[in-house]
Amino acid sequence: MGGMNYTAVESTKMATAEIFGKTLVELGEKDPRVVALTADLAKSTKIGDFQKRFPERFFNMGIAEQNLFGVAAGMAKGGLIPFASTFSVFASMRATDQLHTDICYQNVNVKIIGTHGGTSFGQAGSTHHAIEDIAMVRSLVNLKVIVPADGYETANAIRAAYETEGPVYIRINRGFDQTVYTGEHYGFQLGKGVLMTEGDDVTIIANGSCVFQAIQAARVLEYDYGIHARVINLHTIKPIDREIILQAVEDTRRIITVEDHTVLGGLGTAVGEVILDSGHACAFRKLGLNDCFSAIGFHEDLMHINGIDTENIVKAAVHMMQHAQVVEMESGGRVVKAVRFEGRDLEAEIDWTDEV
Amino acid sequence: MGKRITQDDLYAARIFFNSALPLLRVVIESRRELSSAFRGKSFVFQVSALYPRAPGGKMATHFVVENGRFTVKVDAVHPSPDIELEFSDLHKFILFFSGRGMPLPRMRGVLKNAATFASLLRALLLMASLLQASDAPKKLQDQVLLVKLYFYLLPNGISQLNKAGHQKIHQWALQSPDRAYAFAVTGYPALNSYLRVKEGNSKAGRGEYPRCKPFLTLRFDSPRHALDILMSKADMIDYISKQYLTVEGAPEFAALIGEFLFTVGDYAKGLYLDWKTE
Repeated sequence: MGGMNYTAVESTKMATAEIFGKTLVELGEKDPRVVALTADLAKSTKIGDFQKRFPERFFNMGIAEQNLFGVAAGMAKGGLIPFASTFSVFASMRATDQLHTDICYQNVNVKIIGTHGGTSFGQAGSTHHAIEDIAMVRSLVNLKVIVPADGYETANAIRAAYETEGPVYIRINRGFDQTVYTGEHYGFQLGKGVLMTEGDDVTIIANGSCVFQAIQAARVLEYDYGIHARVINLHTIKPIDREIILQAVEDTRRIITVEDHTVLGGLGTAVGEVILDSGHACAFRKLGLNDCFSAIGFHEDLMHINGIDTENIVKAAVHMMQHAQVVEMESGGRVVKAVRFEGRDLEAEIDWTDEV
Repeated sequence: MGKRITQDDLYAARIFFNSALPLLRVVIESRRELSSAFRGKSFVFQVSALYPRAPGGKMATHFVVENGRFTVKVDAVHPSPDIELEFSDLHKFILFFSGRGMPLPRMRGVLKNAATFASLLRALLLMASLLQASDAPKKLQDQVLLVKLYFYLLPNGISQLNKAGHQKIHQWALQSPDRAYAFAVTGYPALNSYLRVKEGNSKAGRGEYPRCKPFLTLRFDSPRHALDILMSKADMIDYISKQYLTVEGAPEFAALIGEFLFTVGDYAKGLYLDWKTE
């Protein structure tokens, strides 16, 4: 088993966590209402930067996540803007009752930073893998859910959460993320997906650490197969960007979702709900953990094992290209698109526009 | 009867024939004074070593030169080269190219092609002087060439060892997803090289990895700092902390690829001859 610590570089110097810590300090400088809370994980969740700068506005609740959220809710009621940080797995499950009743039901202005999302803390084992957190928190009323792709997007998400009244859950990785953006100014908007690569053959919708993998997969698909893959970074799962999803369905008719999470209830499910609700037909595949716990090891290896790395995305896309044929058929005197996937004929989309 | 040929000898021979000797073309193409000596010339130059178990009884790499342009043929014995350096056994070949001895090969076609051979010898000596040096060259031009030789040699050597079934490297490759390990010096794109590994297969390549961003890139800030690490003159952790070396991508995997680079180096320098495992 791999070690828990990096051999070469101190973990605190890595991008995502560092940017998260700095952004929180920046907000603290700007607004005295910003306070930070942790459940004995200040160093691991990088909220310790805030502690050093504003010790009087930093609260360690001990290993007591329920208290963490209860106190944060109370502080928000009192007019503060609490950023409560703990591991995603604890934020979403150990303290679900407080998250539900104290924060979401009260619709208070608490920002939850769930670190070590997905299998990013792979070596720590299943108790520290957050593979169900999005399914849990997505269902909670009033809670907005963001899964940033890298450190820059984390900074944007933190600022957007600060500027948005009400509870927000931000799921970030352990901190050793690949960078997909070159800076913070790419037009981040809460609730709006980001088109990372253009393509009209297949669409790959990803978030978090899977965005980097999806972008690389698009490059490989282009280089090896001449397949033009569209990649969408759907950083906000709730509220979801219906427009970008449905445009992709219309343009490519082949959708693959990729998430470091169980395929039950997460990004894939959310995208699937949008498509189902629209009545549009498309070939659809969800990549993620298939109702199973993850193995234990380095995140990169787990992403491969769990089928969400570049190689597996490429395989899924190639398979879909081979088995999902977009065909045109005549309907009501008009030529419409239909899709045939793995032997199943899906109905052609019907144009309900009245003729004038 | 010659000394028994061990598996490690075969690994070393493979690295010399398939990874190191082909660098002769790189050396020649990098120096105008060398490449101009071959302008307009056409001939076949072969380096070989007798080995009864090899097809045709010898192992070889040969260069087909047409109008001064070199094409390298590895794993291929030319039946009638114009110039040939033939070692009587693999041990002598390895001792010679690792710089640990000077057993002279049998030379064919040398007198008939004296001028061409002299130019080849100059190129071989330059390559040997660079690769066998214990200190980095002082001139930047030589540093750049030596980094290029290392960057081309080492990933190729790992790939060759994988293909030869080297236990540790092949086991690693068998378990590997599709991943690329790249080597780069900022500001010197011509030095880029990479190693792609997937489910037991491997491929060493030159230039930027074309398919996607590599799984891991060892990026140096200068040729000199690259040589410090490649020649074991500096500590990798120290250089990372000073940002002379950055590990882009998956840093946890740098140690393993680093270990394999040094494995190739141990074969190329003949250090394995000091091992007491066989």
